[in-house]
Amino acid sequence: MGKTVSTITQQLNETEAMLAPFRRTLRRSDQYIFDGIFAAARRHIAAIGEVESLLPFQIALLAILLEQAKDISVLQQELEELRSRYE
Amino acid sequence: MSEQTGWLLDVYTDEEGGIVLWLLTDEDQRLRLRMNFPVTYYATGEFNKLRQAWAYLKEKDVRLERTRRRDLFAGECDVMSVTIGNPSHLSGLFMDLSRRFPSLDYYDADIPISLRFIARTNTHLLGRCRVHLDEEWIRQIEPLNSPWEIDPVPLPLRIMTLSPDTDPAISVPQNLKVQCGRDHFSMPLKPARPFLLGLRADLNRYDPDLILTDYGDTWLFPQLKIWSEENGISLNPNRDEKKEVLTHRADSYFAYGQVIYRGAQTHLFGRWHIDRCNAMSFGEYGLEGAMEQALVTGLGVQEMARKSPGAGITAMQMLTALRSDVLVPMHKRQAEDTKTLVELIRADRGGMIYQPIIGLHTNVAQIDFSSMYPAIMVKHNISPETVGKENALEGLIPRTLRPLLEKRLMLKNILVDLNPNDCRVDLLKKRVAALKWLLVVCFGYLGYKNARFGKIESYEAVTAMSRELMLQAKEIAEDMGYTVLHMYVDSLFVQKNGALKLGHFTDLLENIAEQTGLFITLDGIYKWLVFPPSKRDSRVPVPNRYFGAFQNGEIKARGIALRRQDTPKYVADTQMGILRILATSADPRKKNNEVQEYIRKQINLLKEDRIRVEDLIVTQTLSRPVDAYRVSSPTARAARQLEAHGKNVQPGMKIRYLHVYDGSGIRAWDVGDVQGKMVNVKQYIHLLKRAEEEVLDVFKKATRNASFAFRQVQA
Repeated sequence: MGKTVSTITQQLNETEAMLAPFRRTLRRSDQYIFDGIFAAARRHIAAIGEVESLLPFQIALLAILLEQAKDISVLQQELEELRSRYE
Repeated sequence: MSEQTGWLLDVYTDEEGGIVLWLLTDEDQRLRLRMNFPVTYYATGEFNKLRQAWAYLKEKDVRLERTRRRDLFAGECDVMSVTIGNPSHLSGLFMDLSRRFPSLDYYDADIPISLRFIARTNTHLLGRCRVHLDEEWIRQIEPLNSPWEIDPVPLPLRIMTLSPDTDPAISVPQNLKVQCGRDHFSMPLKPARPFLLGLRADLNRYDPDLILTDYGDTWLFPQLKIWSEENGISLNPNRDEKKEVLTHRADSYFAYGQVIYRGAQTHLFGRWHIDRCNAMSFGEYGLEGAMEQALVTGLGVQEMARKSPGAGITAMQMLTALRSDVLVPMHKRQAEDTKTLVELIRADRGGMIYQPIIGLHTNVAQIDFSSMYPAIMVKHNISPETVGKENALEGLIPRTLRPLLEKRLMLKNILVDLNPNDCRVDLLKKRVAALKWLLVVCFGYLGYKNARFGKIESYEAVTAMSRELMLQAKEIAEDMGYTVLHMYVDSLFVQKNGALKLGHFTDLLENIAEQTGLFITLDGIYKWLVFPPSKRDSRVPVPNRYFGAFQNGEIKARGIALRRQDTPKYVADTQMGILRILATSADPRKKNNEVQEYIRKQINLLKEDRIRVEDLIVTQTLSRPVDAYRVSSPTARAARQLEAHGKNVQPGMKIRYLHVYDGSGIRAWDVGDVQGKMVNVKQYIHLLKRAEEEVLDVFKKATRNASFAFRQVQA
């Protein structure tokens, strides 16, 4: 209410809308992952907003990488646990 | 000369000159007193125009003077002061002058008379004072208490309650229920003549200070006027018989992101009238809250009960300005400073809204900064005229807020120490809530486009400071081994292994308070708390939706069906019923069978027609005129039905309807003649299932705190 600059949520929505034709062309299974990319960015809206950037999607990409790194590290940990159980 | 002490009930201008004051004396008398009260307003601008205005006013019954006064932003400036002996003429004279000389800037021209009176005499409405009288004329007046007193002597008010036997919007009332003291009786409305005579006699006999009505603004008083004219019986509900009742027309306006409808209003002189059905926040803080607001703002109880807290805070700012000899502008004159895009991106942001960790969490503490934004304004001296300046004197806004903040804190501290069953608890809670709303809107008014003492940069300074303090609090919590599950504007949700009791969080609270300089309190410890995911994508968190059970069994929920005003009571009650069952266990997942049994029972009650039709009403606000609806939404359909039945429908009005089987699927409640058998049971079961899913879905599916969720795709 009363803001001049659009919020990070609005900017992410706009980028997602802009990419709608791209998403539509993807296979259904890829679409789910693609949505996950935006879900990853949406987990860090507050942090993206703290950076005074003219191009917040750059920072959103970093948030996406962060989530991906988190996923990888969880998978790695699970793998290590499984490995130690069977070795 | 005689002397009287008592409470000040009402102040207003008198056409015969001066002002009228009503004093409720210590001897239980109601005295109509008068006082000479010249008022002054100011004009400034281009010298030539000012001279023409001077020449024009010289012919009028006013005193003119060239003087210097202080504008909050521009500092000392030359102004023309216009003093009028009879304050009731001010409005007319000012309108005339401003029409002729629109380019001049005007100050102090629209200040309510009660504020001028309070600023000049240091007394306050509902407060105690001593008057020295020469017959009915006040020669001297002095205050006997302060509006900031924590436990003032209560006003011995005589209250008369009037309510019709039915909602007049639905059917024609037949009787008026009257209650005054221990007496309560019912008066038939027809025939009108004996009714009017009876009511007039009761008003004279009881002589109430407050007439509390249901539908008094929208039905009773307009109807009384019609009946008394038709029957040639004069009935003046004022205590001051020289005055006519004051009516304000109904209007719709846009505020806080929504259209609000305010019904017509009837204000009385010498006594108050409050319509419980047309009072803005009466449901939340009642008469006691409205009186508390009137006490501290200086606006009358009748105004405060009907106006938004924004009007109250504006009045308080005017009062501070008057007391500090600062001019009160007619309009806001501070435009936003020019900024580069980067500066705008930096500044134009709100409070800290984090993204919670989705799912069920146990042993979570919610800690809140108390009155965070007002506390920041006071502590960091944030005011429109001080923002960006170092070592500035205390600004107008912090000066206005400081006593308000302190009073609320003291009342809250008393509440904490009281036994919950103490009879004072309810009253204190209402007073605290009333003060809270004044503090809440004060922040918004810094950035509001029409606020006279607003400047967007000061608003931005507050949010920037609040975000910084929240981050500091987060860092302190994390340094102490806590997981921060969520942060929302002024509250944090934290969790740590082994932290289960109030005492476990004391260090955290003390550390945060010490570093930030603001009070922070523990709102409570949840035995479990759920942050549900977005309905659109279960990997996306939602900041303002959560529900949980405190250790004492109390339930707190935000953003779910039971909190929304358009949820029918039956659905909201059922959702609350589900939460109550879940709250009995430390692990809500174990309660699924019990919950399912409860839902089956609730659905059976609906199918067997054992739910009151009233509990199925959906209430929605009409956001625009009916003709402007392009899609025929249920609200628009219900509004059209009302119009077809000759009912007045305006934007901002609450439209009540039921889902029914026949016709358009919707039946406007206020059309009347609604029966249980019409109800579309399937639709209500659908609504109920949706409310159930909102709470239970999170327990059924595995929580996805991995946003990509590769594993699901592989599965």
